[in-house]
Amino acid sequence: MTDLRVRIGELAMPNPVGAASGAFGYGEEYDGLTDLSRLGAIYTKAVTPEPRAGNPVPRLADTPAGMLNSIGLANPGLEAFVRDKLPGLRGRACAVIVNVAGAAEDDYLRVVERLEAEEGVGGYEINVSCPNVAHGGLAFGTDAAVLARLTRRLADAARDGARARAAAGRPDAARRPLIVKLSPNVTDITELARAAEGAGADALSCINTLVGMVIDVKKKSQVLAMGSGGLSGPAIRPVGVAAVYRVSRAVKIPVIGLGGISAADDALQYLLAGARAVQLGTAIFARPEAPAEVLDGIAAFMAREGLSKVEEIAGLLR
Amino acid sequence: MKRFDARITSLKAISDDYYELRFAWPAALRRPEPGAFMTVRAGGAYDPVLRRPFAFSDFRGADPDAADPGSNRSAGDGGGAEAAFIFQRRGRGTAYLAGLRAGEPLDVLGPLGKGFTPPPRGSRPVLLAGGIGLGPMLYLAARLADEASAGGFEAPILALGFRTKDYIPRVGLPPGAVVCTDDGSAGFAGSAVDWLWGFDPGAPPALYACGPAAMMAAAELYAAARGAPYQAATEQWMACGVGACAGCAVRLKDGSFRRACADGPVFDGRLVDWGA
Repeated sequence: MTDLRVRIGELAMPNPVGAASGAFGYGEEYDGLTDLSRLGAIYTKAVTPEPRAGNPVPRLADTPAGMLNSIGLANPGLEAFVRDKLPGLRGRACAVIVNVAGAAEDDYLRVVERLEAEEGVGGYEINVSCPNVAHGGLAFGTDAAVLARLTRRLADAARDGARARAAAGRPDAARRPLIVKLSPNVTDITELARAAEGAGADALSCINTLVGMVIDVKKKSQVLAMGSGGLSGPAIRPVGVAAVYRVSRAVKIPVIGLGGISAADDALQYLLAGARAVQLGTAIFARPEAPAEVLDGIAAFMAREGLSKVEEIAGLLR
Repeated sequence: MKRFDARITSLKAISDDYYELRFAWPAALRRPEPGAFMTVRAGGAYDPVLRRPFAFSDFRGADPDAADPGSNRSAGDGGGAEAAFIFQRRGRGTAYLAGLRAGEPLDVLGPLGKGFTPPPRGSRPVLLAGGIGLGPMLYLAARLADEASAGGFEAPILALGFRTKDYIPRVGLPPGAVVCTDDGSAGFAGSAVDWLWGFDPGAPPALYACGPAAMMAAAELYAAARGAPYQAATEQWMACGVGACAGCAVRLKDGSFRRACADGPVFDGRLVDWGA
């Protein structure tokens, strides 16, 4: 019997295939285009304390087997998220992981503390790896000491929030996992992974986009208004698989793999490399049904291999 | 909106650089509004990643919304409807599309976006197209011509601007369309907006435009001078096409952004920052 459920900390996801932050909005945008009930998790667009208009345009560029984006964490802000977006996410069958971003430590803390009181949030993905904002973002994801301090404060907030919910007799008193999303734009990603684990992270997402640039030769200018942006898509899959392979051997907490997954075999590469779950981002733009197709492919692989649990896939790598 | 594999019914070069692609439209889907768009895959499974957005340039066939309620049509039976878009061969995506053939499948996601709204009663719709912006204007012109008497507005006037005569489509221009070329190699010498300044619409004009930013800014000056409403169709690179990613932002004069795919692609042209 194939059991597709996976656990991240105290959170159970119905299956290992999630929709990555930034690619799937708040889910409602894709209603009618794809069956959201088949997702394991929705990782929301980044939420910051205040609304963000985002970066100047153009924000997108086409690249070989990939794309560059420089959205700049455009989002309506924490209060509008709670008021307008969270209600639509609450009834979903999948886990709802809120992607959290900010320009300072206190920004991240404000978002997590506020959401701890709300129902319907399954966990947090801490965005310390966005290459597209001037302050915060990537800065928190490239210095192990800075990352550890931020992670510890957020882990404390998540623990306090769970206690408060338990004291109030709420049924959702389980501790919500803190998932730190790692950047590939570092010399040694395992150093950051260990720092996050040591500071109390429950899981790691691996990897965010790579810094890239496209120059229009005819115009002799950068295509993106911000100059550089984050590279995603099939082109980065081997980078992500290698990162997951190394990180999953450097830490004991679960690793969630992403970067260039379009088809079941891409996801299986990540799971064989050591990931417990995966996310699809850019592939959803090309094909909104991709997550469900990947899930079907993983289930078929498990049935073929006689596996009962997703975690067993990692053990198959020779 | 729906993603579906359409069957290409025809693909032909209509000028030196422009192509018209026609495809079978699923009977279960509503008729697209002028100004609405679709995105299509333009390559293989892994590359290019980004779908290409195109406005509808034509639609023929029954409107399912208006279908006889007793009829028993189901999804996928074709119904004989056909949609079209016009594209310019510019990069690898459009080069791929230009190499497709009738009978081959095309991965289409649509209809997407908010289209044009009808002109005020008693007005004269004036439609301006610049270059490849002609696609949505052709479809709008056809629909407004059909709806003019019922809607109580004058017949639409369509003016199309091209760099040179080589870009002028060899087929498909509605009767009475005004052709302009920047170099004067055919038709009116100058832009479609230059032509409009010398034209008497005979009724309060209602402006519609799609084209390069400089033309859109010039059309705005005309709209302001005449107090005319101005509906502008914008063009932007897109990733999701459904309002999720905020990649296709259009900047307004107040510094805020709107999503071309979900808030547009048609905007009040007086509010858009054309970068002029």
